[in-house]
Amino acid sequence: MSQQQPLPVSVDPDLCVGSGDCARVAPTAFEVNDEGLSVALEGARTTDRSLLVDAVRDCPTGAITLTDAAVEEPR
Amino acid sequence: MTEEVVFDHYDQVREAMYHPDLSRGMDPRSAEEGNPRADVLSVLHGDEHKARRRIENPLFRRSALVEYERELFPKVLAEICARDAVGQVDLFELGGALSVVLAARRTGIDHDGSAEQLQELFGHVKIIAQASAIMDVVGDRDQVRAEVMAVLQRFDERYVQPSLRRRERLLDGDPDGSGEEAPHDLLTVALRRRRAGDATFDGGVLVREAGLYLHGGSHTSAQTLCNTFYYLLGHDGTQRDAALVERAAADPLFAQRCVHETLRLRPTTPRIKRVAVADARVAGIDVVEGARVVMDVVSANQDAELFGAHPERFDPDRVVRDDVAMWGLSFGAGPHICIGRSVAGGFPLHGEATHDDVGQAHLHGLVALMVQAVAARGVRRDPQHDPVLDERTDRGTRWLHFPVRFPDGDGDRTPNAHAAHTARSGGPTARNL
Repeated sequence: MSQQQPLPVSVDPDLCVGSGDCARVAPTAFEVNDEGLSVALEGARTTDRSLLVDAVRDCPTGAITLTDAAVEEPR
Repeated sequence: MTEEVVFDHYDQVREAMYHPDLSRGMDPRSAEEGNPRADVLSVLHGDEHKARRRIENPLFRRSALVEYERELFPKVLAEICARDAVGQVDLFELGGALSVVLAARRTGIDHDGSAEQLQELFGHVKIIAQASAIMDVVGDRDQVRAEVMAVLQRFDERYVQPSLRRRERLLDGDPDGSGEEAPHDLLTVALRRRRAGDATFDGGVLVREAGLYLHGGSHTSAQTLCNTFYYLLGHDGTQRDAALVERAAADPLFAQRCVHETLRLRPTTPRIKRVAVADARVAGIDVVEGARVVMDVVSANQDAELFGAHPERFDPDRVVRDDVAMWGLSFGAGPHICIGRSVAGGFPLHGEATHDDVGQAHLHGLVALMVQAVAARGVRRDPQHDPVLDERTDRGTRWLHFPVRFPDGDGDRTPNAHAAHTARSGGPTARNL
C-alpha cells in the first residue's frame, strides 16, 4: 500500500458541517475530529467502495467526493 | 408586498435547501435578541451556523447513537411502557414521556425520572414547540412568543440552572467524591466552552438552545409516533391489514420502514420556509433579496420516479430509488439538515433496504423502537375517541391528542423482556440514565 497516493475520498472543509454521517456510514474511512470536521482516514483505502459511495450520497452538504485513487481490496 | 417563490419538485426543493443565500432567519420577532429563538442553532445562517454545528455535532456521534438505541432506550421503553401503556392512553403523551428521557440526557437536564417530572418537562416542550412553528401559527403570534418566554424562564430556573450547577461541580473535579465524570451533553459542552473564554452560549442562548434540544428530541418524535399509527390503525380512511402492526412488533426494520414512509407523507414541517438574503438564482429561478421561499416537502416527496408507483399511498414495503432516502426530504438537506435525524430516524433507507442490505451495524432510530414496543403491547384504536389535530398551526401533521387502547393489566409484551427485568431489578432506569 502506498501512503503517498491520495486517499480515495476527500472532504471539503469549507462545506463540511461535521454532521458525522460519513463516519456513521463508513467508520473505517472517516472520523469527526476535535474541531468538528469530518476527515478521511487511511482506512478509506481498504474500505469497501460501496460504503464510500454511500458516504458521498448521504453527506448532507455534498462535502465528500470520490477521487481517482483506486480502492484496495479489503483485507 | 414581499415576493414569494414556491418550489415543489424534489430536485428544486433539494437545491433550495443547499443554497447559501437562503436563510432560516425569516421571523425577526422570534429570532432577534430577546426573543424565544434568538441565536439558536436552527435559525443561524452561514458561518455562524456552521461553527455552531461543528460544536454540537459531536453530541450525535455513532457511539452515542449506539448507546441510545441498544443500551439505554430499551430500558426506558420497558419501564415506561410497563407503567403507562395500559388501558386507554394518549399516544402523544406516551411518546413524549418516552422520548423526553433521552432528549433530557442529551441536553444535560437532570430530573428524578418520576412521571410528574417527565410530564412537566414534556409540558414545557409542548409550549416551546409553538415557537419552532411560529411561521405556521394560526392566531396571535405575540401571545405565543410571550408564553414561550415565560416557559423558558421556568425551565431555566427549575431545570437548567440546577443542572448547570451540578456540572460545574463535576468539572471542578468531583469534590463530592462520587466518582462521577462530567457527562457528554449540551450543557457540559457549553460550560467547557465558557471556561475556555468562548461566549457562544452566553446571554441566554444556552437556555434557548436547551429548549430547542428538548423540543427537537421529543415533540417531533412523539408526533411521528402518532402519525405512524395514524396510518397503521387506518385513521387515514384506508382499510389496512392488521398484520402490519404485527409485522412492526416483530421486526424493527419493518417498524423503521413504517416510520420513514410516514415521515415522507406527513413530515414534521410540510412547508419549509427561507428568506433570500441576497439576489440569487435557485433551481433556475431568479429570487430577489428579501423574497420568501417556500419548499413544499409533501409534494417533493411524492415524485413517482423517485419513490415508486402511487407515491401518495402509505406503503411501508415500497422500494425507492437508490439515490434518495425513503423519508424523502422530510429531515431537510444541506447545512440545516436535522441534527438529530439519526437519533429519531436511524440510518436512511435506500432502494430495497433489506436486512442484508442494511447489515448488522444498522440503526433503526428511537421512533421505530417506540413503534415496535407500542405495537408489541397490542395497541388498537380507541373505539370511542378519535385523534384530535393540533389546529394552533396550519401544519396539519401535529396532534393534540391521539387516544389508543392497550390491553388492561400488566400485559408485558414488550420486545425486550430482559430490559424490563433489568429495570425492575435495579439496573439503569429513566431516573438515572
